[in-house]
Amino acid sequence: MAYTYLITGATSDVGTTLIPRLLEGAPADTLVLAQGCGDLEKLAPLVQKYPGQVRPFDVDLSDRLKVDAFVRLLEQSASAPTHFVHLPALPVVNTRFKNFDEDRFAKDLQIQLNSAIAICRVFVPKMAKVGFGRVLFIQTSYTIGCPPKNTAAYVIAKSAIGGLVKSMAVEYAPRHVTVNCVAPSMMETHFLKDTPDLIVQAAAADNPMGRNATPADVVPAMAFLLSEEAGFITGVTLPITGGSAIV
Amino acid sequence: MTEQAILESIQEIFRDNFDDDTLVITRDTCADDIEDWDSLEQINLLTAIEKKFQIKFKLADVRGLKDVGDLLDLVKRMVG
Repeated sequence: MAYTYLITGATSDVGTTLIPRLLEGAPADTLVLAQGCGDLEKLAPLVQKYPGQVRPFDVDLSDRLKVDAFVRLLEQSASAPTHFVHLPALPVVNTRFKNFDEDRFAKDLQIQLNSAIAICRVFVPKMAKVGFGRVLFIQTSYTIGCPPKNTAAYVIAKSAIGGLVKSMAVEYAPRHVTVNCVAPSMMETHFLKDTPDLIVQAAAADNPMGRNATPADVVPAMAFLLSEEAGFITGVTLPITGGSAIV
Repeated sequence: MTEQAILESIQEIFRDNFDDDTLVITRDTCADDIEDWDSLEQINLLTAIEKKFQIKFKLADVRGLKDVGDLLDLVKRMVG
């Protein structure tokens, strides 16, 4: 079976690290449908390196109508995804709960959760129909045990992702569609652009391995959960934390 | 900038951070005096102070701070 990976948030540091991992050595008919938002130039090196195998889509996932149009476009123009990897989120803002920004949170939920639901509602049943599928989300170690203060919006949205993963996992297990998530500790990527350096440095110093995670730490675990051999693993939140959060 | 002016600015940050408009800090105030002042709140205080004074702390500089006096001295050195 030729694999078609639908990756939302593909222009992120994790996305651009994951794509070559999935395509290197893969059959020539392996396809990556890569969504970004206003930053598709980040995919240019991958489009050049894997001609015809990486198809970029510029879609604003915070706009429900555009998500619906994207789904319709995918239904019409591409082979149905065998794998769906959902990476997008608004950057973490460290702020006290009294300053909770409800408008920003609603936008984040649309990007992180509602767009994933809309995409899954169309493509996961198709995966079930052929009896194979992999769905993978990126969560956070903040949802394991006690979260840090001042990250309510992020923790709430990521916890909702956890609920979605478990719910779909039990529903689609009989049809061999697995639904999992990885939960990295603080990962040093562009995603931290709004996080003060001091918080990043303190997280690294407090990590048992003395550093923060990188995409290179997380992507191999993602590739494994997306692989055929991980077919009996579903509903899992896999911590990738250097020991800073242990289930 | 005088030490008193720095102290007043930092006091405003403490008041906002700990939701207490009546909070008064002195050079001797330390984490034992404010119930919610834990290591994470300390980082939040420091990042708010960085923003207010347009400075950048290094983790090594702030890990040894014992009280507001140490903090004041550090900020004073950095703002010149």
